[in-house]
Amino acid sequence: MPDESPNAPAELPADATRVEDAPRRTVIKSESEPAAAPTGTRDRRGVELAQKILPRYGVLIAFLVVIIVFSIAKPHIFPTWADAKTILTESAPALILAVGLTVVLAMQDFDLSIGATVGLAGGVAVALMAKHAWGWPLALLMALGFGVAVGIVNGYLIAFLGGPSFIITLAIGTVLTGIEYAFTNQATVFSGVAQGYINIAAKSYFLGLSNQIWIAVVVALVLWVLLDHTELGRYMYAIGGNPEAARLSGIRTRALRLLGFVIVGVAAAVVGIILTSQGGSYTPNAGAPYLLPAYAAAFLGAACFKPGEFNVPGTVIGVLFLGTISTGLTILNLQTYLINLVQGGILVAAVLLGRLGQRVAT
Amino acid sequence: MSAVAATSAPGARPFLVARGLVKRYPGVLALDHADGAITPGVVLGLLGKNGAGKSTLIKVLAGATAPDEGELLIDDEPVVLHGPHDATKFGLAFVHQELADVPNLTVAENIELGLGYPKVGGMLVNRRALRSKAQEVLSQLDARIDAAAPLASLSIAQRRLVMIARGLAVNARMLVLDEPTASLTDEEISHLHAVVRVLRDRGVAVVYVTHRLNEVFEITDSVAVMRDGRVVFAGPTGSVTREQLIEHITGAAAASTREPWRPPQPEAEREELLRVEDMTLPEVVEHASFSVRAGDILGIAGLVGAGRTELVRLIFGADPHSSGRVFVRGVERRIRGPRDAMAAGIVLLPEDRRNQGTITKFSVRKNITLATLRSFRLRGPLPFPHRGRETGAARDLVERLDIKVADTEHPIRYLSGGNQQKVVLAKWLNVGADVLIFDEPTQGIDVGAKDEFYGLMRDLAAEGKGVVFISSEFSELVQNCNRVLVMREGHLVGELSGEEVSESALLEKCYAA
Repeated sequence: MPDESPNAPAELPADATRVEDAPRRTVIKSESEPAAAPTGTRDRRGVELAQKILPRYGVLIAFLVVIIVFSIAKPHIFPTWADAKTILTESAPALILAVGLTVVLAMQDFDLSIGATVGLAGGVAVALMAKHAWGWPLALLMALGFGVAVGIVNGYLIAFLGGPSFIITLAIGTVLTGIEYAFTNQATVFSGVAQGYINIAAKSYFLGLSNQIWIAVVVALVLWVLLDHTELGRYMYAIGGNPEAARLSGIRTRALRLLGFVIVGVAAAVVGIILTSQGGSYTPNAGAPYLLPAYAAAFLGAACFKPGEFNVPGTVIGVLFLGTISTGLTILNLQTYLINLVQGGILVAAVLLGRLGQRVAT
Repeated sequence: MSAVAATSAPGARPFLVARGLVKRYPGVLALDHADGAITPGVVLGLLGKNGAGKSTLIKVLAGATAPDEGELLIDDEPVVLHGPHDATKFGLAFVHQELADVPNLTVAENIELGLGYPKVGGMLVNRRALRSKAQEVLSQLDARIDAAAPLASLSIAQRRLVMIARGLAVNARMLVLDEPTASLTDEEISHLHAVVRVLRDRGVAVVYVTHRLNEVFEITDSVAVMRDGRVVFAGPTGSVTREQLIEHITGAAAASTREPWRPPQPEAEREELLRVEDMTLPEVVEHASFSVRAGDILGIAGLVGAGRTELVRLIFGADPHSSGRVFVRGVERRIRGPRDAMAAGIVLLPEDRRNQGTITKFSVRKNITLATLRSFRLRGPLPFPHRGRETGAARDLVERLDIKVADTEHPIRYLSGGNQQKVVLAKWLNVGADVLIFDEPTQGIDVGAKDEFYGLMRDLAAEGKGVVFISSEFSELVQNCNRVLVMREGHLVGELSGEEVSESALLEKCYAA
């Protein structure tokens, strides 16, 4: 077959799109066949290794490189137990939120109300204790109850009434922040938080690590077992892969999607409790800054271990990676603008590393 | 090359010639050295069963897919089409069955889309000029359509005319109409035919794809019949009879290798497994009633859009129905969703395998155990699947159905179409259902895999299951069914059983109107 057509009717002007199209096709061809043929066995083995490792462990490799670079740059501060503890403590709330989010993302749903849910849960708990003199266990249960309720509302509107998750949760998030302010009058609260409540996150009972780390570990373990080792998890991934095929296989797709929103709602409520417990105080809309990092971590995680799928171990790596970068860059004492540039650059590089492997593989 | 010679009117130079086109898809030979030619001023009817290769041929002509072998010549010069843009450049225009128009733009904007709208001052679109230009093209077609109207306000027939007008606007030398009269009324059809004649008289080469034999004799000047990726017949329409065309389309000469299926026991001794009464979804399925007995392979014949898929989806609970009752082994079962159907012992292999049958990201094992995961619990009531037992069951089914896959952990998307279809079947065999409904199970899979599928359906029937088999290929139904229902426009219009089941009888019932 001739590669190009020299016989295009002469009266037609040269077609720009055609000129563009032709080389693009050639490039694709040379990538798939001739390029692979002449390479030696050593190169090929290298390519195969890259195919296997990069999509699964690209982000992990980038993570290790970042740790090594920081350790060389600040050998006395960065690679220490104290610093690791700081990173873990600061990452714990983000971790809980991100692994909860992973459950809905596995079903291809979005939840943009999680930041607002964090703020609402914290606000409810503190307001009930400080303004209404509730005992802390009741206030705590109430906050968790709000998390469940938010999940049910989101899940019902999206899974049962068919609303698009992106917009619905964005709108619900706005409503939730309104409810939070109704409880707290949008005023910062410093006093009236029970000591028992403060102990929940701040105290440390084990290995010198604060409780919030252990809470995060438990949540991550539970959700990892749920997604990777139970029937429900299998069904959830099936819904994410092909909702119609899942439904026709007899899976309760609507109920499971609702359950996903409840899980992430409760996770967000736990984060709200931890944040207010940690400082013994309440700041309005404290959850907002946690929304985007949770997504960043989950998407980083989807480029890890199970390429293309949101998974709990990947999300954990994503959260720790993000925490390490921000702590490390702070230690390096860079100017703010540089921190932003470097942080963004590292994330792009890490995700592309995984993609690169996938591209080579196909 | 005799086929090429036959389609060319004597003396006229063909506009486009296809030589030895081959197109392979994984597991399918869609085009197998197809030859053909089309002459200006001729309406060529392109016929063939579903899967005969017509769509692939059209895709090749449109530049949407590149052939693996063979060449296209336009005005005797070899050409390579790198995309739809090239096809337009060479004067090829297409009106696809699924309209590729933009409903939220106006008629005029659609007709001139991509052709460079007339401008005011080189920047803004000159709406008035655009409209009058489009209106002129429409008037050539004698189409009473307002060029300023939003496309969405038009009927399907009018939208087809708009797409044809678009072909005129690009000065097309060849126009391909893919089943243009599907879902049109008689009046709309005769108008469309008039338009086709206008184009033909202006010297346009028209390729007219249709399943309706009446139409072939009414509108086409010559015909080309495709079967199994080849052009098996080409010649002037006047030179063939209706019966000869049917023979070319179905390949009746190629005798079936299996005897038609007949249940081992007489009907009276076989239990009624499924009875459907008065199943209705207004305008789609009207008052459908039938029953399936153990050992039956019950075919459902009909044209695309006759309501066959919709009917079985209603029975399976995939879509809500307005009225209708389902009895399994004589007991009425309320089916509100696929879960209820499965519990009642009914399963469905959906028509659209990729979108409805498989989870493409999942491995073969996970696809096979998806519907029955509960039966693989580690121990007790805890919902932890036992992976070893899952793998064991998956391997057994892979072996039993002869699924070609080295490891049950491989993603299902690496398998050929036929093997993917068998994985879907494996999933449902695990359920242990009484009634298995197969919706076009052999579509898009190769001949060998088809034959294996026929064998599997017979095995199931022989085991005493009830099998419902939807197919658009009459030969398949004749070969494998002991009874066949015929569906037309949402109604079950007839039932053939035993020796009455023949391709000509089915054709008669499907097309009679």
